[in-house]
Amino acid sequence: MIILSVLRAVKFSLQDLVRNFWLSIVTVVILVLALFSVNTLITIKVISQSAVDSIKEKVDINVYLKNEAAEPEIMALKAQISNINQVKSIDYVSKQQALDDFRDKHKNDPDVLEALRQLNKNPLSPTLVIKPKQVENYDDLITSINRIQNDIIESRNFDNPKQMLGKINGIAAKVNEAGMFVSFIFILITVLVVYNSIRVAIYTHQREIKIMRLVGASNWFIRAPYLFSSVIYTLLGLAVTALVFYPFLTLLQPYLETFFAGYSFNIVNYFKENFWRIFLLEFFSAAAINIFASWIAVRKYSRV
Amino acid sequence: MIRFINVTKIYHPDVRALNKINLHIKPGEFVSVVGQSGTGKTTLIKSLIGEERIDEGKIVVGDWDITDIRKNEIPVLRRQIGVIFQDFKLLPKKTLRENVAFALQVCGQTRQKIRSIVPQVLKIVGLEGKMDRYPSEVSGGEQQRTAIARALVHRPKILLADEPTGNLDSINAEEIIEMLLRINKFGTTVVLVTHNREIVNRLKRRVITIENGRIVSDQAVGKYLL
Repeated sequence: MIILSVLRAVKFSLQDLVRNFWLSIVTVVILVLALFSVNTLITIKVISQSAVDSIKEKVDINVYLKNEAAEPEIMALKAQISNINQVKSIDYVSKQQALDDFRDKHKNDPDVLEALRQLNKNPLSPTLVIKPKQVENYDDLITSINRIQNDIIESRNFDNPKQMLGKINGIAAKVNEAGMFVSFIFILITVLVVYNSIRVAIYTHQREIKIMRLVGASNWFIRAPYLFSSVIYTLLGLAVTALVFYPFLTLLQPYLETFFAGYSFNIVNYFKENFWRIFLLEFFSAAAINIFASWIAVRKYSRV
Repeated sequence: MIRFINVTKIYHPDVRALNKINLHIKPGEFVSVVGQSGTGKTTLIKSLIGEERIDEGKIVVGDWDITDIRKNEIPVLRRQIGVIFQDFKLLPKKTLRENVAFALQVCGQTRQKIRSIVPQVLKIVGLEGKMDRYPSEVSGGEQQRTAIARALVHRPKILLADEPTGNLDSINAEEIIEMLLRINKFGTTVVLVTHNREIVNRLKRRVITIENGRIVSDQAVGKYLL
């Protein structure tokens, strides 16, 4: 009997959505706008986080060594540096490897290659490339490396990336704040629109509700169709958002590929991989908000 | 069957719709309640189906004291009391069959049961040939008969009729009263609220007259006094 009542409530709810077609369309469109803004916010967050990660990945410290440095001395220095706490990894790039890398990097630049050929010798120094465990500990790592006194060290390159990371984090935080505000506005509008849709639906069914009460329908049976309607609104809104949002991300991806050159990042894949996590969370949140708005409308207006 | 003990209902600010009403209607009785407009007849009906809460006294239906009936018990009460109104209260976008079935659907009856009960009840009220018509396609009398069928699907022990002939011509009104008498004959207690002097006088049944919220007359075989 309970299943039968639930099925009938769903049936009445669907009938109601079809009968109030344009009202349903407006409600779903507003929901789509709200969900789209939330998803855009997620996208911005993912992009900014990836930008920060890509910069962090590129952060390293180069210790240039003298040309005449002997291999055992270099290995000893490498071992000494790798013992420092803040060091994640250390790579030794020999003179020859540095030259090969240089040639490979400028393979499409004949002027540079010609200049190198005319030099007739390898001008590059052997290098130790050090990656920090955490960019936040960059200063400590530099201090530690500076403390090392070794004659084979020719120079040290310490470009501090913290300022740039700080800027990116700052921009991301501001964009997030603006996004949160826009999302909040849309969520507020959604609550009002869903509330109003349910209210109008109840007004158009006042006679029906009165007759339902007259013939002994329970409060649950009278109210349930309207609550189901809010869940159906949420499902429709989410489905439309997914349908619209994926093409939007596909259009965005080429621009992101250019921006993240050399760093593997695909926003479409991110949303595909996290589809259930993102959309289930959005479904439950949106459904909870919509049911709340409907519940208030139903309680207030279904007392016929 | 129905007991009103010192029942008072006051509407804001100080209108006594019912004023210390004492009433006992026995099972199987046919009672007409008469009185001018605004004397409290409809309030009497509304308080019987839990639509209005009384301010003083006690109302008992069967063995059930419904004076302080809880909200979630009202649907149960209404499935035991059939009600028909002057304006029929049918859903215009549903056929006569669907209107009657609706009363069973909202109470969670199975499809098979609905399919078997609805045609039977519509046959009792003489609408077996018009089940698939819409209310706008049948006469006022037939609409009221549909409302009676809807009230009967729950097999109520009590049938309340609030001005059921108010919107009908004399022939249709006569048919409805005949139908109520037949229903009463099968053991259902019928409470008829009406203005119609001729009907009341011809019925030769118990008549309760209400004036300014008070019972001014209660005759076993009564006449329309006002």
